[in-house]
Amino acid sequence: MADEGLVIGCHTVDAWKQQLDNAQASNELVVVDFTASWCGPCRIMAPILEDLAKKMPDVRFLKVDVDELNSVAEEWNIEAMPTFLFLKQGQLLDKVVGAEKDQLQQTLTKHASS
Amino acid sequence: MALSGFEGFEKRLELHFFGDDFQLGLRKIEFESIKLVLEQVQCTVVSAVGNAYFDAYVLSESSLFVYPTKIIIKTCGTTQLLKSIPPLIFFSSLIGFTLSSCRYTRGTFIFPKSQPFPHTSFKDEVSYLEHTIPSNLSFTKASIMPSSISSSHSWHVFTATIPHHHHHHHHQLNNQLFTMEVCMTDLDPILARKFFRRPDDEKTGHSAGKDMTELTGIDEINPDALICDFAFDPCGYSMNGMDGDWYSTIHVTPEDGFSYASFECVASVNANNIGHVLRKVVQIFRPGTMSVSTTCSGYSNETWKQMASAVEPLGFKCRSCAMDQFPAAGTVVFQTFTPRRKST
Repeated sequence: MADEGLVIGCHTVDAWKQQLDNAQASNELVVVDFTASWCGPCRIMAPILEDLAKKMPDVRFLKVDVDELNSVAEEWNIEAMPTFLFLKQGQLLDKVVGAEKDQLQQTLTKHASS
Repeated sequence: MALSGFEGFEKRLELHFFGDDFQLGLRKIEFESIKLVLEQVQCTVVSAVGNAYFDAYVLSESSLFVYPTKIIIKTCGTTQLLKSIPPLIFFSSLIGFTLSSCRYTRGTFIFPKSQPFPHTSFKDEVSYLEHTIPSNLSFTKASIMPSSISSSHSWHVFTATIPHHHHHHHHQLNNQLFTMEVCMTDLDPILARKFFRRPDDEKTGHSAGKDMTELTGIDEINPDALICDFAFDPCGYSMNGMDGDWYSTIHVTPEDGFSYASFECVASVNANNIGHVLRKVVQIFRPGTMSVSTTCSGYSNETWKQMASAVEPLGFKCRSCAMDQFPAAGTVVFQTFTPRRKST
């Protein structure tokens, strides 16, 4: 895959749906980073997420701007940023709220191996 | 009392700025810049989260809140908090913001001799502040509010503002706010033990922090708040709470001999549950001594009246009450409480 090892930005609802469908077809774990351009703590996690994406090519990393994809953020009840959702087969497995590097790493390890 | 130990008592700085952008304002400051500011203070970011109204950072030595037009930093230990002022003024100027008022408060240090300059004395702090803030903030006042307990529990306040400057409180127009700062010492040792991590628990600081939040009932103080918590190794706890544009924050130094816990929040003067909040806090820590400082902009401060009656049923008696007015900050009321029958 051309986008292996990268965090994929979803800028339209169609692109978002496409990514989830692709992940479902390959039974991949999906990690979604919900961010806002005006939120300071979101900027802390950007390089950390890029790094994790490189290290775990079997996991699909997506990035959603809550203003750009307002309906998706509402659908998943995003209230604070950054929020990381762990999805598999369209189901919510886990959630990490805040720029929590260790917590994100630990949750990723937990779900990537299952 | 230990000869020396970790200083739980925080130094708190609240800076208000004015500029063109009331929507995002100071939240636009680059994180790299914030890191530089914190380096001056000798602390680092441990955890962070933001909502529609503000960004909240849990630091290695307390908390930082960034709102569009105000910044609140609270640090403990031997941090040099006042050194954050020059870089904050600099970075805010890059986005067109200038300082309009400054408020510095703290209790009395348990280990005053361990503090570095300019925190060596209140006189040194005031001198440093007056030399550091822009000269147009010429309306200043410094005062040590006393308590009847002893000189070991006083409340130090310094505020400065631009004379005749009208302070914009855009989100507060219909809803006057007050800040409540609670400092507790001599925590109940059994309750304080809950803030020690279990050795080899293999949990992250956040995960262990979440356990402490739930175990101690901190999550019940305001069930509507989103909590960002952290448990330090081997002991210690910090949390920031977010409820709309209201913040709350708790910091615990649980070691026997110099145990300390603080609770701080901002709330509406119309809210009728502040007594309930204070009661919950007292039940979680059962301190030997507690001070409560409430700050309300304007000339009236009625909220302090709810404090004594709120904690009376828990056996706490108000020992002193002092009130004073400060530029920009408004009316500050400082009260101290101790349990009715203190065992020696």
